[in-house]
Amino acid sequence: ACFRRGDLLHNLQEEQARLKMRLQELQQLKRELRNSPQDKVPFPVPEVPLVFRGHVQEGMEVPKSLVSDLQICYPMPGGSALVIFDDPKVAKQVLRQKEHQIELEECRLRVQVQPVELPVVTTIQVSSQMSSQRVLVSGLPDKLKLSEEELLDKLELFFCKTKNGGGDVETRELLHGGVMLGFAKDEVAQNLCRTGQFTVPLGGRQFPLKVSPYMSGEIQKAEIRFQPVPQAVLVLNIPDVLDGPELQDVLQVHFQKPTRGGGEVEALTVVPPGEQRLAVFTTESS
Amino acid sequence: IMAAGEDINEVMKEYLKKEEFMKYEQNQELIDQIAKENIYLTMEIQKLEKELQEAPGSSQIKEDIPEAKLKFTSLENPEDDSRFSNISCSFQVSSQVPYVLQKGEALITFEEEEVAQNVIRMEKHHVQIMDIGVEVMAKPVPLNSGVRFQVSVGVSKMKVNVTEIPDELPESQMRDKLELSFCKSRNGGGEVECVEYDKQAGSAVITFVEAGVADRILQKKDYPLYINQDCHKVVVSPYMETHLKKFQVFSGISKRTVLLTGLEELCLMDEEEIGDFVNIHFQRAKNGGGEVDMVKCSLNEPCIAYFQE
Repeated sequence: ACFRRGDLLHNLQEEQARLKMRLQELQQLKRELRNSPQDKVPFPVPEVPLVFRGHVQEGMEVPKSLVSDLQICYPMPGGSALVIFDDPKVAKQVLRQKEHQIELEECRLRVQVQPVELPVVTTIQVSSQMSSQRVLVSGLPDKLKLSEEELLDKLELFFCKTKNGGGDVETRELLHGGVMLGFAKDEVAQNLCRTGQFTVPLGGRQFPLKVSPYMSGEIQKAEIRFQPVPQAVLVLNIPDVLDGPELQDVLQVHFQKPTRGGGEVEALTVVPPGEQRLAVFTTESS
Repeated sequence: IMAAGEDINEVMKEYLKKEEFMKYEQNQELIDQIAKENIYLTMEIQKLEKELQEAPGSSQIKEDIPEAKLKFTSLENPEDDSRFSNISCSFQVSSQVPYVLQKGEALITFEEEEVAQNVIRMEKHHVQIMDIGVEVMAKPVPLNSGVRFQVSVGVSKMKVNVTEIPDELPESQMRDKLELSFCKSRNGGGEVECVEYDKQAGSAVITFVEAGVADRILQKKDYPLYINQDCHKVVVSPYMETHLKKFQVFSGISKRTVLLTGLEELCLMDEEEIGDFVNIHFQRAKNGGGEVDMVKCSLNEPCIAYFQE
């Protein structure tokens, strides 16, 4: 029993030495991470120049991202119209009846009205990880006289050639300070990253470009909600009896009549029968 | 002799036992102590491992998009006809890159990049604040990395999602029943172009020939599915397609903003007042400065400063 105890002690001491070493390793790693930026990725990423403009926050809350350029494109069928009223109450009144009869000299136009409800994203979840097929090409000169399409073509032309270590390019995207290229085969991306430096002809001159791994993102979840536009009314199934400008006037007169539940119209756009259009909505501030 | 020898042996044994017992006692204490320490070490290691795992490499970003008022801006006529089959919602998300400004630190943004770089090159600056001369160090601002990406979500005008389909019929027969139910105009249906049925998931995607049918069906949350004599209520929801574009991890670099340190001894003074002194000092060309856009001092509490493009 005594011998076994000695053994046990020895084992425990060995274990402790091992644990202490591991702890030191981890503490070192943590120190390194703290010294370098917190969310640092293990390889260089393009630099974006940023500036402090006085936006501060007291306390230590988690920073929020900036959402911008929200745009919703809403297809409108032929024989429809979009009416924007000054007052949402008027729109509500107009929508009380599903069908409106528009008086003309000889006949009546029967049309349907509908509220406008737009899908807006409420929550989005994106995961990111290092891509095995995609690379980031960086170090592009600032003043290139090439359009986006021309630049992407030049890069694809260079990196699809086997003599340059490349292969079939499947996806390409111009980013801020770089270009993403996606290859059909995994090995191509890995080999290019290993080489790292390339001299690429762009617009008649040679430029030294860098190829590094690309962090790619994937949408895990998106939740939407239908948000009404309270001033808007969609008019559908307008019979094909009047031409565009005339129809516009007739609708305008109809929806402005207080006797018909209408009111001040801010905007009215007509899509003639047989055609289609996209109504574009953006956030009010921009 | 034999007996005497045995006696001596016995005595020796007794003695050794006693010593061993003491050693045993000591060992036991040591073992307990080391075991305790090892448990503590293991816990510390696990804690650190978890902490470090959450940091780099793959990550999850979850964003709640704030509600905004929507406004009609224009009517467009795109050449690409496929854009008429979806209501699309697109937007851009980009991280705000923060810097935690510690007590005794300040940020100063210059109009010109060269001025900022010159201030950093000079490193030490002697700033007169009231009657105190303060030695201030100028450094580049270490910034974190961030992500930016574009999202577009298309809600189909031609398709609906169907879920909670009962698992009662063979696959091809169920597909027919779905098509028959969804083309009934008295229930708001219309001519069906195709049915993609996933028997295992109990779900389907119905594509209609005409736009507008999907809208009509989605005004209710469920739809009647007729199987022989029975009527089941299946759940209908919008059919969505999501796309992620221009996903990019970037590292922030501050070219016009400089970090100033060494203001610790001024704590408890008015931040704005000190800011004015710093501003005046760095405005002057003879101090190596130039036009100043913005100064923020942190003297009492650390604060988060956000960097923008």
